[in-house]
Amino acid sequence: MLTARRNGRRTTRTAVSLVGPLVGALLLTSCGGSESGSSDGKTLRLWHYEGPDSAMGVAWKAAVEEFEATHPGVTVEFEEKGFEQIQKTAPMVLNSSEAPDLMEYNKGNATAGLLSTQGLLTDLTAEVTKRGWDKKIGAGVRTTSQYDTNGVMGSGSWYGVPNYAEYTMVFYNKDLFKQHGIAEPTSFDELTAAMDKFVAAGITPLASAGAEYPAQQYLYQLALSKADRAWVDKYELYKGKTDFHDAAWTYGAETFADWVKKGYIGKNSSSLKAEDAGVSFIQGKSPILFSGSWWYGRFKSEAKFDWGTFLWPGSGLTLGSGGNLWVVPKGARNKELAYDFIDITMSKKIQNLLGNKGGVPVAADPAAITDPQAKSLIADFNTLSGRDGLAFYPDWPAPGFYDVLVSEVQKLITGSAKPDAVLDSLQEAYDKGVPKT
Amino acid sequence: MTVTVERARVAKDARRQGGSRHRKDSYTLFLLPGALAFLAVIVVPFLMNTGVSFTDWRGVGTPEWSGLANYRALMDDSEFWASFRHSLFMVVAMAAVPTAVGLVLAAALFDYVGKHFGSRWAAVLRACFYLPQVLPIAVAGIVWSWILAPENGSLNEVLSAVGLGSWQQDWLGDPDIALYSVMGVMVWVQLGFPLVVFMAGLQRVDPQLYEAAELDGAGWWRRFRHITLPQIRPETYVVLTWCTIAALKVFGAVYVLTKGGPGGATNVPSYFSFTTFFEKTQVGYGAAVSTVLTVIILAVSLIGLKLQTRAEDAEEGVRA
Repeated sequence: MLTARRNGRRTTRTAVSLVGPLVGALLLTSCGGSESGSSDGKTLRLWHYEGPDSAMGVAWKAAVEEFEATHPGVTVEFEEKGFEQIQKTAPMVLNSSEAPDLMEYNKGNATAGLLSTQGLLTDLTAEVTKRGWDKKIGAGVRTTSQYDTNGVMGSGSWYGVPNYAEYTMVFYNKDLFKQHGIAEPTSFDELTAAMDKFVAAGITPLASAGAEYPAQQYLYQLALSKADRAWVDKYELYKGKTDFHDAAWTYGAETFADWVKKGYIGKNSSSLKAEDAGVSFIQGKSPILFSGSWWYGRFKSEAKFDWGTFLWPGSGLTLGSGGNLWVVPKGARNKELAYDFIDITMSKKIQNLLGNKGGVPVAADPAAITDPQAKSLIADFNTLSGRDGLAFYPDWPAPGFYDVLVSEVQKLITGSAKPDAVLDSLQEAYDKGVPKT
Repeated sequence: MTVTVERARVAKDARRQGGSRHRKDSYTLFLLPGALAFLAVIVVPFLMNTGVSFTDWRGVGTPEWSGLANYRALMDDSEFWASFRHSLFMVVAMAAVPTAVGLVLAAALFDYVGKHFGSRWAAVLRACFYLPQVLPIAVAGIVWSWILAPENGSLNEVLSAVGLGSWQQDWLGDPDIALYSVMGVMVWVQLGFPLVVFMAGLQRVDPQLYEAAELDGAGWWRRFRHITLPQIRPETYVVLTWCTIAALKVFGAVYVLTKGGPGGATNVPSYFSFTTFFEKTQVGYGAAVSTVLTVIILAVSLIGLKLQTRAEDAEEGVRA
């Protein structure tokens, strides 16, 4: 018995001596902060999530080639990531020794702003001034590059650099409009009249998707049509109290619900994803899609009909901002190479390529944009930014607000909640999620 | 003579016990890698997760100790409780229905198809039922989302083709139907597992029992009730426990099919924890949800094992 107990103790001691360092190592690994490592000057580790056929994907690929040509002996280690993948794991990756040298990241208070307050991103202000990027990026676009000490965009240090802009517009199928004898709408009333005609013809006019961003962008656009810059600043920059039962939000929610009833938005669109809405437009099933410039290149290559775009009628504001940001993680090993790469993406050559491929460049040479559709896209953006019309996106103010918006707008589509109740829920989630400072 | 034999027996027993103890000690070493892996992969992360659940943390920076605040907030969180209610529906879809249907199908394949069409046909059908278990849930989920799509979805198209157009639904987009649609997919996914386990269990049932019952004039249903069910009771407990645990922690199907929508109608605790953790970056709160979920799963597992042990003990008692 005594021997057994001794043996037991010995076994326990052996186990502890083996387990102790293992647990210690695990805890150290899990709690460890970033390890900056040393610069080798030979490798640029680059992550981005643009599709290879998109305007940005094509432009960044050309930028990589340019970078390698101008940096002999330096290798670009490119890793293609998914948007969701980076969105969900960025804080942990950036807080580890696995951080890349340069990464594309989503802009906004809940994303880049949050990471900046946690000290995970490099303050690029000095570099931005030195390399003159600030002179190339207009006021409306740079809002999402700068974050104050609370992580609120619009002022403070530069933590990211956008090479392109994005905005939402009405994509419309010219052939279908012509087929039903409908002229291009130039006012909000004409737009609704056009939708009435399509409904009468048995066609759901608006491509939408409740399970992802398109539906909530309709809601936000409707609200924006009754809003002004101060309203946007309250909502997005916390410059005042946001009331979801004000005239703009109430109009947005009630009109959205009304549009579902009228058949402008499909009652069965609550489970559809953004891809479904885009495909519905590409296949010529839905004559109208209100969405972002990120679709432009895809429609250009895939739509087999004549199509055009116009800004949402009757609204000075629309959804839009600078594009995703190049951010340099605090723990990046080759920051100089990262700055050089950003510099190349800001060059006229890459910017012009981006513009001609259906993107909205921030520093292109207007004369070098030869594609007529691309010219129109950029002209509309210039109109919009000229009137200070970029109103950002509805999910930006609070972390997790995207999911809340999806869920609540789905209720508007299915009719499972009244607009008033939906606005109550949005208010509650917004108030809970915005910074308390 | 008797004393000598008794002494020899005691000495032999002592040697046997000593040997057994020696063997036990050396076996401990073999258990060590598994124990270490268990510690590293299960125990330590669980304890760390539990620790995080007592903090207010956004995933980066320094966590702030908040005591039981996250658990108190959970008690008042209607979204959290709704997700648990949905979990109960998933238990029906992933444990109760597949176990019941799997049992009947296993008995039918074993007792009818196997006998009348040959064991090869029974094996082929068994493999067919098991196929969804082999498919990655991401793939199966995407295929089902096509099938259940409101426009051009195969199910709605088929209903229309056979003159049942009025039955067409927005299967995953209608809050009154979406949960049942997900449940239907999960029954399809899950059915193969109990079926295979039950068929394996049926292999060990003494065929003489069936023959005797048949000679006594017992029909299929009576043989199923009085022989099959009691004989494969251990497998039934294993399947029920296993499937209930799978149902409580279901995530992939909800993520791919509905992302908890529409309007939270199909949200489940693991998906709720995921969005709280990664989307809302309320890491402490998300950790509290997953801690509660783990405790519930542990409790269910222990209850299942206890019931199984009790049933086995009772059975052995009857035999003895």
